[in-house]
Amino acid sequence: MSRPLDGFLAAAPAPQRAGLRALLALARRPRGARLLARFAPAAQLTTGLLAAAHFEADAPARALGWDAEAVVARGRALRRAEGRP
Amino acid sequence: MREMLEADVCVIGAGAGGAVAAAELAEGGARVVLLEQGPEHDADDFTARPLEMLGRLYRDGAQTTTLGTPPVLLPLGRGLGGTTLVNSGTCFRTPARVLERWRREHGVELDGAELGRCFARVERALSVAEVTPELAGANAAVARRGAERLGWSHGYLRRNARGCVGSGVCAFGCPTSAKQHTGITYLPRARAAGARVITGADVQRILVEGGRANGVQARLAATAAGAAAGRGHEAASGRGDRPARELEVRAPRVVLAAGTIHTPLLLARSGLARASGQLGRNLVLHPATAAFALMEETVDMARGVPQSFYVDEFAAEGVLFESVAGPPSYVALALPLTGARHAAAMSRYPRLAQFGLMVSDDSRGRVHLGGARAAELGGDRVGALAGRSANRVAGRRVGTRDRVRGVGRMGGPLIRYDLGEPDVAKFRAGLARLRELFEAAGAREVYLPLPPGVSPERARARDLKLMAFHPLGTARASADPARGVLDGDLRVHGVEGLHVADGSVMPSSLGVNPQLTIMALATRLAYHLLERPCPS
Repeated sequence: MSRPLDGFLAAAPAPQRAGLRALLALARRPRGARLLARFAPAAQLTTGLLAAAHFEADAPARALGWDAEAVVARGRALRRAEGRP
Repeated sequence: MREMLEADVCVIGAGAGGAVAAAELAEGGARVVLLEQGPEHDADDFTARPLEMLGRLYRDGAQTTTLGTPPVLLPLGRGLGGTTLVNSGTCFRTPARVLERWRREHGVELDGAELGRCFARVERALSVAEVTPELAGANAAVARRGAERLGWSHGYLRRNARGCVGSGVCAFGCPTSAKQHTGITYLPRARAAGARVITGADVQRILVEGGRANGVQARLAATAAGAAAGRGHEAASGRGDRPARELEVRAPRVVLAAGTIHTPLLLARSGLARASGQLGRNLVLHPATAAFALMEETVDMARGVPQSFYVDEFAAEGVLFESVAGPPSYVALALPLTGARHAAAMSRYPRLAQFGLMVSDDSRGRVHLGGARAAELGGDRVGALAGRSANRVAGRRVGTRDRVRGVGRMGGPLIRYDLGEPDVAKFRAGLARLRELFEAAGAREVYLPLPPGVSPERARARDLKLMAFHPLGTARASADPARGVLDGDLRVHGVEGLHVADGSVMPSSLGVNPQLTIMALATRLAYHLLERPCPS
């Protein structure tokens, strides 16, 4: 599991955390994924979470035109230059 | 060990209502102590990575969920600034039709001239201004093109931002501090005027003696706060290895602004405000959803202000459209697709556009206190409901009795909300119009948030994929003590010196984003407590 996804799950209320971890474990296995595909909400949730963790990383996001490091650096520079909090 | 503080006013919560009330009261000469459960967030720690920031800036990692049909995800901010730290910054004044409804149905008379001065004062403090088309970006341009072709009423939204460069991550911590949330506007003013701001303070109980508020008891979290202490606010606790401490603030006035979900729970835990039977009831959410479209042109939706444009053609029917956008990981989470279709759509992220719809709901939900905590308190009506009926009702309706009991054992809120048929009809119409909007704008494909094979016209409540960002109404104001928790001055009926200043006070849905209304009402309350008129 990726660090951002771990942090996201750790912040969830305990019942959701346990449920999400179980669903994600299922989604990572071919048979489990086929089973989940029958339940659209669960399939969307797991697809979305795993893909979000993937696109949170720099390389896949940059390939789609999003550079989080650059956004943060610009923000920091603006705050320093203009005395923003 | 119990620490004691004395103040003229103790404010609970540092979000839209609490921060504003604290600053105005402190500047007006009152000795103010402000207690906030969450931490202070530093813009240097914002990473522009949505998944990571959801876990850090939101209560429960933005995974607070209602129980009912359909379940509604209810992301709430936590920390100095509250939800103003993570909202989109959209600013609407309270619509006149809503104020008239409050007067007619609840006898809540808000003097128009006075409220206008309060709105103007807040708007100045927050640098509220309309987004420019250039800053709104291509995602807004798509919706504008569709609305113009259809002849639908539309416009650019007003926002509390100054020096915004369109970073595209308002909901995940503004990296430029352009968004003027209360943590960087009102709270520095409060501190400068002498208010004591204490983070990590979990308020346990409001103290009342002889029908009059006289203070607050809180538990201070044992969290490391060395860095935060250097910023001029009281550290919650010295070190992580120290035990939690107790704090008692003695004050003849208490302003409760813990938010729509937690304010009724704190009142219930304190054994207050139960006479009307309305405490925790009348929850409205402005449930919302969003659709995506694949366009011919490059959109790059995260370049620009995510929420910058609205279509209000159908506002009178209770449906308001607003733009929404974000970086790839946010879109990956929100796309209503699975498997290969999800992957294919993500590979075309630069050409994806997104637009949302929000419903002014007539459905009513309810907030309960979790089971074990309620049982400990015993005899409390809201708590008792949480201990028995809520579990029973929710267990039957959602078929997940164990999950509900699990939530209850944690002592957190149980939020019950079922979308009624009139509101489902608004979503049916709204989703059909959202598709129409995108098609008029030239979309190649439209991805609606519905299960495969379900058209908007045939959608049922359980087919909808909903989120909500504006919980309101759980301690509603009404001149009639039998119908509301507060009077028109936001004073708890039957308790002198105890006031509420957050979204829970609203007697009904607003139909628009509520932060400005909450702030204006908090301003009005502060000046009433200071016994002077709000300056023009």
